[in-house]
Amino acid sequence: MAAARRLKRVAVSQPGFLTLKPSLDPSDLVSGRRKRVNKNKKKNWNKHSDINDVEEFLEDVRHQERTTGGLLSEKSDDSLFFLDVGQPKKAEQKAEESVEGKKRKGKASRPLRIDLILQHDSLVPPAKDVLSYQQPNAKKLRRIAQKAEQLAAKGVVPRRQRQLLNRRPVDRTAKKSATEANNNPDREYYDMWGQESKESADPWYLQQTGKRQVKRPEKLNEKPSVLPAVEVIAPGGSYNPDFLSHQALLQEAHDVEVKKQKQEEKLERQLAFNKEDKATEETVLREQVEGLVEEENEDEEAAADDEEEDVAVGAIALSEKKTERQRKRERAEKIKEQQRLADRKQTDQQQQLFQLRSIKASIRQREQKTKSNQIKRKAKQEAQKSQPRRLGKLKFQPQDLEVQLSNELAGSLRRLKPEGSILKDRFKSLQKRNLIEPRDRAKFKRRLKVKYVEKRAFKEIT
Amino acid sequence: MGGLQKKKFERGAATNYITRNRARKKLMLSLPDFRRLCILKGIYPHEPKHKKKVNKGSTAPRTFYLMKDIRFLLHEPIVGKFREYKIFVRKLKKAYGKTEWSTVERLRENKPTYKLDHIIKERYPSFIDALRDIDDALCMCFLFSTFARTGKCHVQTIQLCRRLTVEWMNYVIASRSLRKVFISIKGIYYQAEVMGQLITWLVPYQFSHDHPTDVDYRVMATFTEFYTTLLGFVNFRLYHSLNLLYPPKLDAKTQSELKEEDEEDYAMDSESYLEKLSALSASLARVVSSAEEEEAELDQFPVEGEDMEKMEAREKEQKQQEAQRKMFQGLKFFLNREVPRESLAFVIRCFGGEVSWDKSICIGSTYDVTDETITHHIVDRPNIDKQYINRYYIQPQWVYDCVNAKILLPVEDYFIGVTLPPHLSPFVEEKEGDYVPPEKLKIMALQRGENPANEQEEDNDEEEEEDEEEEEDDNADEEEDDEEEEEEEAEEKNLKEMEDQRSQGKSLQVKVTPGKVKVENPARLEQEEKAEEKRLAIMMMKKKEKYLYDKIMFGKKRKVREANKLAAKRKAHDDAEKAKKKKARK
Repeated sequence: MAAARRLKRVAVSQPGFLTLKPSLDPSDLVSGRRKRVNKNKKKNWNKHSDINDVEEFLEDVRHQERTTGGLLSEKSDDSLFFLDVGQPKKAEQKAEESVEGKKRKGKASRPLRIDLILQHDSLVPPAKDVLSYQQPNAKKLRRIAQKAEQLAAKGVVPRRQRQLLNRRPVDRTAKKSATEANNNPDREYYDMWGQESKESADPWYLQQTGKRQVKRPEKLNEKPSVLPAVEVIAPGGSYNPDFLSHQALLQEAHDVEVKKQKQEEKLERQLAFNKEDKATEETVLREQVEGLVEEENEDEEAAADDEEEDVAVGAIALSEKKTERQRKRERAEKIKEQQRLADRKQTDQQQQLFQLRSIKASIRQREQKTKSNQIKRKAKQEAQKSQPRRLGKLKFQPQDLEVQLSNELAGSLRRLKPEGSILKDRFKSLQKRNLIEPRDRAKFKRRLKVKYVEKRAFKEIT
Repeated sequence: MGGLQKKKFERGAATNYITRNRARKKLMLSLPDFRRLCILKGIYPHEPKHKKKVNKGSTAPRTFYLMKDIRFLLHEPIVGKFREYKIFVRKLKKAYGKTEWSTVERLRENKPTYKLDHIIKERYPSFIDALRDIDDALCMCFLFSTFARTGKCHVQTIQLCRRLTVEWMNYVIASRSLRKVFISIKGIYYQAEVMGQLITWLVPYQFSHDHPTDVDYRVMATFTEFYTTLLGFVNFRLYHSLNLLYPPKLDAKTQSELKEEDEEDYAMDSESYLEKLSALSASLARVVSSAEEEEAELDQFPVEGEDMEKMEAREKEQKQQEAQRKMFQGLKFFLNREVPRESLAFVIRCFGGEVSWDKSICIGSTYDVTDETITHHIVDRPNIDKQYINRYYIQPQWVYDCVNAKILLPVEDYFIGVTLPPHLSPFVEEKEGDYVPPEKLKIMALQRGENPANEQEEDNDEEEEEDEEEEEDDNADEEEDDEEEEEEEAEEKNLKEMEDQRSQGKSLQVKVTPGKVKVENPARLEQEEKAEEKRLAIMMMKKKEKYLYDKIMFGKKRKVREANKLAAKRKAHDDAEKAKKKKARK
């Protein structure tokens, strides 16, 4: 307690210290009996030492700082006091008026109370947050910056920047064209056959990445047919044809039609059934009772079969073993026969010497025959080059001939009615030249059955 | 003997071919994609020689491809694009299903596309190769450009086709390379000679489409996709070969003329330029603007003898062609509204004529009906109300027939309301001894510069001449003999007279007449010699050859006979027609 008192004395009795609270009287601090406590333990130091006076003092200091911005004792007198000389009356009145005016005016301008409450009213500035001013790795960065400055002064460009500079400028137009559709009506063309080769990148790179163009085999540039791309219609197909050529075209169309009809008739003939094969009443009845009525014939047949079997078995049993003599004779006969054939062959060959002329003739004949066959085969191959080949399930069906009958012919270009479709003509031409295989239109198959329901409104009517 | 038994179908033909389905699986593509790839790359199915060997013993009809071709396809970068596209479609479908519109938009923006430029270059290593294959491309583009924009194919494709065809027609006009035109019941056939290549194409009539159902539109669209790319590059090259700007620009002079009209009536701003180009009435701008085209002249070389003759002949031919190209030069045509404008404008402009039409039909008309300088007015109706006296009113067929005949035909046969002479196909080339229709003979006579005044007689003469030409060769020598005989006879007569006079006791009137120089026609002599040689050659023939020769001659004669028969038939038909007409008149 003595220490506390001493401290108080120290704090309050400091020269020039003014307490803000008047209640704090130094005489009050000394009071009552003091309690005896051992002070040889640290615990007791904390427990039984009275620090109120110090705390109160510090609190007072803080209070002063908060409200006035510093210790009152350190302030100059001018800032604390002023000379009160009383106020002139007029001024007071004016002041009142002005206050009233202010009140009216200030209703809008005066801050709200809640704002005032929330206002920071301490005169002590808030503490600085040190961390917010700190920079991680500041030292390292500073060093790097310094080094960069040094290098820049020397004129050395850092690697990163160098790479950026070295990078090729991005081709904007190329990217645009890459996304452009192939059938864009405003697309651009260039001279494709002008420049020889536009091999941009390293050939080794292209080869390794599989981006090099593979050379097209020469054989692919051959056309699969010798037919021309556009076959001009016969002269009879003119809109105002010559009489005879028109007749010729009509004849051709007629022949095609007749051929078709014949084929149809043939098919019908083949499909027609013979009238004698038609079931009569008798045959129908026989079919119905088949197997129900027992017939005696069957038994007889069965008996005959048995007999035959017996005979067959007997024949196998009858064959005997050949004797040694028989074998010998057979062998001799065989050898004799062979000898005879060999002799015969030899004499034939000798005879051929005298037939030389006829042999020569026959050889010549054969050669001639092969030659003519060759020619024929070649001609056939040539002819086949212009024929449509069989490329798929279906055979090529030639288009119907476009023909206008004599009474359909228009006298003038204005009244001409076009015949046939060019689209179909082109399509058939592609097929005829073996560029595409003839195909049927894919049939639509319904997966689920359609259910028909009569609507009520419809039902009412019917 | 011994060893492992060799397995079947592991060697030979069976390994050279691959079926379509297996090829498709190897490329990992769907069937439509595979088909498209094959069309674009120019790989076509093959028919193997021995189907059974290739098809592993089965004879079922299948589509086969060559194994090497398919292996070649494996390297194509477009295959990857096809797969990307497949995935794009799948993603798009999914986004639609989930109604994620932002995703749909994003996907749409990044839609995978591909270019066919490298394939064109690969398939046509040189420009001439491409030009040889341009027939198909032209037909297809002309066909697609006439389609209605109703969703049978993509609208953009139609627009592109239209643009390319217009460019092509403008090129043909600028280069004056049109040769033949044939109006058939199917469409109009044109033939042009571009850089020494004969190019034929077929243009459909406008508004004549009923879409057939048995045509695979997808296949056709794929072909068109390829051909548009090809035609574009070819056009570019052709324009540059003529020093024309590409894409084509109208000549500044003509453009200013055209500007005067109000263009908004016809088309939107974006389309009006193409429309003006497609009007075909204005010439194109050149890179080097030259006032007059320089005519390329053949270089003159000092040569002798036969070469000289050949040279002259060639020069003459060249001149003739030049004249043909300028056939309509200086003529002013006006097209009435019922005639096919585009075709006629194209043909007339190809031969240097000027052409115009009513303002309300199409953009780009250059003068009015009332223009006094118009020389030909093309009409296709039985009569017309107001006629100007200083111009011919003719039917459109005249223009086409002139082009095919390569001369300006007399206009009388083509006046309004006159029954037209038949329109003959210029694509038929008659050999010797074939039947030639009389109309063609007439035109041929006109070409030779003969007077068409006495047509009928000449016609008949022509026919007879044609008929007899063959026989003449054989009979030439005989005729010679005849003439000699005649001369001899004349001499004998003279002698006889002299004898008579002597017998009558009169003194001979001896008179010396001045000798006449026996005129020897060198050409005639040469002919005689040739005929003699021929006869001798025939005499010297071996039996076998003689037999063959006789056969050939017989065939020729038979042909002539048939032609004669046809001519007679025609004459009978004509007579019948005439009689009918006369009756009708009465």
